Amino acid sequence: MIKGQIALIRRELWEHRSIYVAPLVIALLLSLFSVMGQVTVSGLDHAKEALDIGIIGATNLSEDKRSAILTGLMVSLSVPLMLSMWILTIFYSLDSLYAERKDRSILFWRSIPSTDFETVLSKLLTALLIIPLITFAVIAATHVVVLLITSIWLGARGANAWHLIWTAVPLFDNWSATLVFILALPLWLSPFVGWFLFVSAYTKRSPFLVAFLPIAVLPLLERIFFNTSATAEAFFVRSFKIPLFPGWENFYSVFQEGGHLHMVEGAPLSLWSLIDLGNFLRSPGLWIGLVVCGLFTTAAIYVRRYRDDS
Amino acid sequence: MTSLVSARNVSKFYGSVRAVDDVSFDIEKGKITGLIGPNGAGKTTLLKAVLGLTDCQGSLSVLGLDPFRQRKELMQNICFIADVAVLPRWIRVTQLLDFIEAVHPRFSRSRAEELLSRTKVRRDAKVRELSKGMVTQFHLSIITAIDAKLLVLDEPTLGLDIIFRKEFYGNLLNDYFDGERTILITTHQVEEIENLLTDIMFIDDGKIILDASMGDLPERYVELLASGENAEEARQLNPIYEREVFGKKVLMFEGVSRDRLQGMGEVRTPDVADLFVAKVKGAAA
Repeated sequence: MIKGQIALIRRELWEHRSIYVAPLVIALLLSLFSVMGQVTVSGLDHAKEALDIGIIGATNLSEDKRSAILTGLMVSLSVPLMLSMWILTIFYSLDSLYAERKDRSILFWRSIPSTDFETVLSKLLTALLIIPLITFAVIAATHVVVLLITSIWLGARGANAWHLIWTAVPLFDNWSATLVFILALPLWLSPFVGWFLFVSAYTKRSPFLVAFLPIAVLPLLERIFFNTSATAEAFFVRSFKIPLFPGWENFYSVFQEGGHLHMVEGAPLSLWSLIDLGNFLRSPGLWIGLVVCGLFTTAAIYVRRYRDDS
Repeated sequence: MTSLVSARNVSKFYGSVRAVDDVSFDIEKGKITGLIGPNGAGKTTLLKAVLGLTDCQGSLSVLGLDPFRQRKELMQNICFIADVAVLPRWIRVTQLLDFIEAVHPRFSRSRAEELLSRTKVRRDAKVRELSKGMVTQFHLSIITAIDAKLLVLDEPTLGLDIIFRKEFYGNLLNDYFDGERTILITTHQVEEIENLLTDIMFIDDGKIILDASMGDLPERYVELLASGENAEEARQLNPIYEREVFGKKVLMFEGVSRDRLQGMGEVRTPDVADLFVAKVKGAAA
């Protein structure tokens, strides 16, 4: 079973190369931007002095503040990759059970001794676990690359990069928090993933349209006929209210006041301290969502098994 | 003799259309059975039922398993080629070999590699880069390297040129078939496979209209080439089918002894293709 799952998941990565190509391309772009940015800034004659003063200023900052700045830098690198991850997950799950029917290879896949349950499970695991893990690996690598580029640049300007960056950077704190978030997000949004898998298994054409039409139209109809907004709440508001960061509001206090760094007393400096895993795991919304995901996935298995496409 | 496939009163409806209509048959171990029928006769539906791809009514047992409910176990001992276009086009040759090696307990990688080395299929090619004939060679190499009890082929050579078709059946006999394995095959091109079949089943309109061993055919069916009065006389013996070739009548008989027809003209065993036409047209009449 486990050996079969590994083979099936490898198969998914062969077919959907964008799972690792897309984040790698974005990571490459982010690294290029950081090189270009630093080269451009260095090339500006009148900025040189300000730059050197800035570096001296940074050197005099406390380790906590440097740590907070570096956390901000790392988060700004993580966010584009997390966004692309979610877009990737949508397209992947919509394609995963549709492509094999479109190219008529489904009969071949069904001639292999794997059950429909195992096959659909491998696709669900790819969406909920493999894509996030790959994205996380790329995020961590991007952090290291951009920090290295920055160190070289600082070194070239005569600054002590070791002191400025590497003694202060909260890698472990940042990465552990990012990993938890990146694994929790797909679980929180799993009802959508389940729905996409089901549409992918069910629809005869245009899975994208079939999947998003109800998401767009149902809240509209509900508003018109019942003047309520329960579906809109469920679809849109819930999605953004992941109960993983009860302390999120406090985080901004580090960076407030017109861009000047100003430490608010008692503001949390670590990303990890923002995360409340217990709160996430205790939230009924998570478990209801997982049940909905399970129902849609079961329906997808059922459709793949019982539909006769001849 | 052990029956690998045993069907009793098997039917399959699509809505109110009866694709397979109360069919019963057995396929024994070591046989190569041809399932011959016109388009829409129910061939593919019947094969799908045998492969557990579709549910059906009646009792169907394949290798002692219920094909629809025990599909995974079944697929460890069955291989099938549904038709040539079916291999995923995006996959690389090595990837597919890796995959099957990982999921199929009866697949021999070395055997597949050996068979592939006789073809022009490149290991690093994607399926979409291979010609149609090469895809079929590749598929057959995989199937041949699986130690399966039953091989089901549904129009395996559709769209291939004559050279690939001949080679396909040659390889099937030489590399795959060893007298222990069993093959169930459907095709339109009966004449190309009739020499390799041991048994034959005709299906028309969802019903099996002939189920015989190839060796029994000369005894059961006989064809007479006759003209004029002889043809008139022979017609009294209730031919199942009659056609005309170069001005001569060709009459086909079922269950009429050759001695009875001697002296009326040339007596011979009908081709499977002609027999098929006779049975289908006869059934329709």
